[in-house]
Amino acid sequence: MKRTLMGLAVWVVLSMLAGAFAAQPDTEGELVVLAGPQEDWAQAMVAAFQKKYGIRTTYVRMSSGEALARLRAEAGSPSFDVWWGGPNEGQMAAYKEGLIEPYAPPRAAQIPTELKDPKGIWTGIYVGALGFCSNRELLDQLGLKPPTSWDDLLNPKLKNGIAVADPRTSGTAYTFLYTQVVLRGEEAAFDYLKKVDQNIFQYTKSGSAPGRMAAAGEVPVAIIFSHDCVKFREETGVDLAVSFPKEGTGFEIGAEALIKGAKHPKAAKLWMDWALSPEAQAIAATVKSYQVPSNPNTVVPEKAISLDQVKLIQYDHAKSGELRAKLSERFGEEVREGAAAPRK
Amino acid sequence: MVHYLTSRLREYRRLSRDGVLAVGLMLSVAFLGLFVIYPLFKILSVNASPAAAPAWHRLIAARGTWNVIFNTLWLGLGVATIGTALGFLFAFVQVKLDVPFKRLFNLVGVLPIISPPFAVAMSTIVLFGRSGLITHKLLGLRYDVYGLDGLIFVLAISFFPIAYLTLVGMLRALDPALEEAATSLGASRWRVFRTVVLPMMTPGLASSFLLLFVEAMADLANPLLIGGNYTVLSSRIFLAIIGEYDLYAGAVLSLILLVPSLTLFFLQYYWVSRRSYVSVTGKPTGSARPLETPVLKWSLFALTLLISGLIVLVYGFIFVGAFTKVWGINYAFTLDHFRFVLFGYGSDAMVDTTLLASIATPLAGVLGLLIAYLVVRRRFTGRSLIDFASVLGLAVPGTVVGIGLILAFNQPMWGGLFPKLTGTALIIVMAYAVRSVPGSVRSIIASLQQIDEAMEEASASLGASSLTTFRRITVPLIKPAFLAGLVYSFSRSMTSLSAIIFLVTPRWRIMTAQILNEAETGRFGNAAAYCVVLIAIVLFAIGLMYLTVGSRTGAERLVER
Repeated sequence: MKRTLMGLAVWVVLSMLAGAFAAQPDTEGELVVLAGPQEDWAQAMVAAFQKKYGIRTTYVRMSSGEALARLRAEAGSPSFDVWWGGPNEGQMAAYKEGLIEPYAPPRAAQIPTELKDPKGIWTGIYVGALGFCSNRELLDQLGLKPPTSWDDLLNPKLKNGIAVADPRTSGTAYTFLYTQVVLRGEEAAFDYLKKVDQNIFQYTKSGSAPGRMAAAGEVPVAIIFSHDCVKFREETGVDLAVSFPKEGTGFEIGAEALIKGAKHPKAAKLWMDWALSPEAQAIAATVKSYQVPSNPNTVVPEKAISLDQVKLIQYDHAKSGELRAKLSERFGEEVREGAAAPRK
Repeated sequence: MVHYLTSRLREYRRLSRDGVLAVGLMLSVAFLGLFVIYPLFKILSVNASPAAAPAWHRLIAARGTWNVIFNTLWLGLGVATIGTALGFLFAFVQVKLDVPFKRLFNLVGVLPIISPPFAVAMSTIVLFGRSGLITHKLLGLRYDVYGLDGLIFVLAISFFPIAYLTLVGMLRALDPALEEAATSLGASRWRVFRTVVLPMMTPGLASSFLLLFVEAMADLANPLLIGGNYTVLSSRIFLAIIGEYDLYAGAVLSLILLVPSLTLFFLQYYWVSRRSYVSVTGKPTGSARPLETPVLKWSLFALTLLISGLIVLVYGFIFVGAFTKVWGINYAFTLDHFRFVLFGYGSDAMVDTTLLASIATPLAGVLGLLIAYLVVRRRFTGRSLIDFASVLGLAVPGTVVGIGLILAFNQPMWGGLFPKLTGTALIIVMAYAVRSVPGSVRSIIASLQQIDEAMEEASASLGASSLTTFRRITVPLIKPAFLAGLVYSFSRSMTSLSAIIFLVTPRWRIMTAQILNEAETGRFGNAAAYCVVLIAIVLFAIGLMYLTVGSRTGAERLVER
C-alpha cells in the first residue's frame, strides 16, 4: 500500500508540473473557479476552457451562501480566482465586504446595460425568472390549474402542497422573498409569507430541490426558477407546467466577478471575457441549462423560456443584496424557526 | 512536594529510556493536543470572547433555538429507544434462538456500518415518502416521511448495529449456569428473563442507549435530507455556517450541542461501561440452552425476518436508484449515473477521497496502537488524560470537530511557523484521523487487556529491548485488533460527512460532500451511484487489508464482534 501511495503522490506532483508548463497564453497557467450553476454546466465550461487555453482549471460548486462564507473565511488569501454564475446579489454582498475586485472584461461591451454593473463589480452571464413548477397530474386531482398569481398559493386546497427553499441557504428562495417585499412592502410581505407557510410542505436547503419533489409527485407546486423546471421536465419526462404570476415576478442575473487577491488574475480575466462570448454561452443548452444567455448574439435554445413571456418586476439587485441578511434573518425568526417544531 | 516532583520526573525518565516509546508518547500527545484538545479549546474561547456575545444574545432570545434543542433531544431519545430495542432483538435471536437465517441476521446487523450517508434516507424517501413506491403506489397512502418519524426510522436502522454488537457479545458471555440455576429452582421462562438475563444486560442496554443517543444527536446527513422542516442542532449549525455565514453562531450552537453529547458519552464511558456484571472466567461453561417456547420463538423470528427484509430492501433499493433513469419516477435501466461517477467529473472525488482516507487510515492505526499501548502498559502521570483525549474524537459530534478545526487552523500559528491548514488536504486527513483514532484505540486496548503481561516480561527478562518485545511479542498478539482498527478507520473516513463538510477544498473533492450536493439538488440517481461506488471501494479495501495485514482470525473476529 505504501508503494501505491508513493506512486500516487509522485503522480500528483508530476501532473501539477505538467499543468504548469502546458500553459500557452500569458497567464499563470492555473485557474480556480467558484461556480454557482449546476455541476454539469460548470464541468462543461471548465473542460472547454481548459481545452481552448491549456490552463489547468479546477472548480467547486457552491450556493451563494456557501460561497460568501468561504470567501469571507479566506479573505486576503482566497483559494478562488473567479466567481462564475450564481445570482449577482451574492457578488454585490461580497464586494461590500471587500472580497471582489471590480473588472469589466472587453466583451462586457456586448452585454445589455441592465445586465451588468457600471463599475464592473459584476457582469451578467444569464438571466433566470422565478416561476411556478407544477405537477399537472397532481393539480388535476385537486381540480386546480397551474397558479397564475402569487395569491393562488394561498388556496387551502394546496395545504402541504408547496415546496420552496429557505432564503437563508438559497438565492432562489431569497428572490421569492424579495419579490414579495417589492410587490407588497416589507410588513405585508411577511404577512403573506406567514400565510403561504400554512401551505408549505417543506423548505429545502437548495433552490432547485423543490423541482425534484414536484417531478416525483411529492408536491403539486414548487417555486423555483423556470429554467430549472424545464430541466426537470426534460430529465424526468414528467408533465411539469411552467407558469408565472401575473403581478410580476422576480428574476436573477447570473453574474461573474473577479475575486480580490486572486492568485491567478490573468487567467481569471481571460475566463471572464471568454465566458461572455456566444461560443461559451452556448455551452449551457448542451447540458440542459435553459437560462437566457446575457449576450444577445448567443443562439437561444427553443425550450428555454424567453423573457418576453414573463412579466418582470422592478427588481433592484443592489438594494436586494443590501437587505438580504436582514430579511433572511427575519424570515428565519418569524416564518421558519418559530415553527420549527413538528406540525404534523 | 519536592519528592512528588522528582518521582514524577523519574517516571518520565524511565519512559524516555525507551527511545521509541518516548517518541511515540510525544507523537500521541502532539496529535491529541493539537487536533483534538486545541480545537475544542478554541470553541470554548471563541464562545467566551466578546465577539460572540451578540450571537449568544440572539440565539438565546430566539424561540427557534429552544425548539431546535428540544427537537434534538426528542430525536436522540427516539433513536436510542428504538435502536436499542432493535439491537437487543437481533442479539437475542442470534444468541438464544435456534432458528434459520442467523447468518443473514448477523450480516444485516453489521451491514449499516459501511453505509454511506444519505443512502438510507434517499431510499426511504423513494420507498415510503409521499409518492413512495410502497406507501403510495402500493398502498395508496400520501404519507409524509419527512420529519421526526422518518428521521427516527432512518437513524434507528443506521445506528442499531452499535447496540447489536455490544449486546450480542454480552449475551454470549452470560454464564448459562445462572439461568439454569434459576430454571431448576422453578422459575418460569419469563421470570428468568426478567430477573436474571435482563438485570445482567442492564449495563449493556444502558451503554447502547447512551451511545445511540449521542450518535443520533450528532448525525448531520439525515436531518439535512429527510428532516424536512424538523430542524435539529446539527442541521442548525450547518445553516449557521453555510447559510448565514455566521461562524460565531456556529460556535455557540456547537457548544450547546457539545454539552449533552459529552455528558452522555462520558456517563457511558466512565460509569455504565465499568459496571459490568458479566464475569469472564475463561473456564469453559455450557453453551446457552436455546429458547424452546415455540410461539415466542417463531414470533420473534418472524419479527426479525420482517425487519431484516425491510433493511435489505432499503439497501438493495439504492442499487435500483443507481441503475435507473430517474429514481422513483422512471425505472428504465441506465448506466449514466455510473458514467458520471466513474468517468465524468465525479471521478475526481472518488480518487481524492480514497487517497485521503488511505493516508488517514494507517496514521490512525499507528496512533491508535501507540496510545493504546501507552495507556494499558505504562504507568505515568497524565496517562488517564491521554485515555480521555483519545476518545474525545468519538464523543464530540462531527460538525463540532469541523468547526473546531476551522477556528483553530484558519490562520498561521506561532508567527507563521505553523502554516494555515484550512484549504489543504492535510486538515481533511486530520479530521479523518481524529474521528478514527478512538475506534482504533478502543479495539487495541480491549485486546491488550486480555494479553497477560507475563509474556512481555518474559521477553524482557530474556534480554530483548522494549522495541523488540513490542515488535515480536505484542504486535503479533494484537494484530487482529489492529486490523479491525484499520478497517474501522477506513470505512469511517470514507463515509464521514459532518466532520469534513466545512473543510472541503477546491483541490480535494470528497465523495460524501458530492453526494450531499447531488441529493440536495434532486439528482438521487447520481447520489445513489456514488453510494454504490463508495460501498464497493470500502469492501474492496477491507478485503485488501485482510490480504496484506491480515489473518483469518482477524476476519472472523470482526464478523463475530
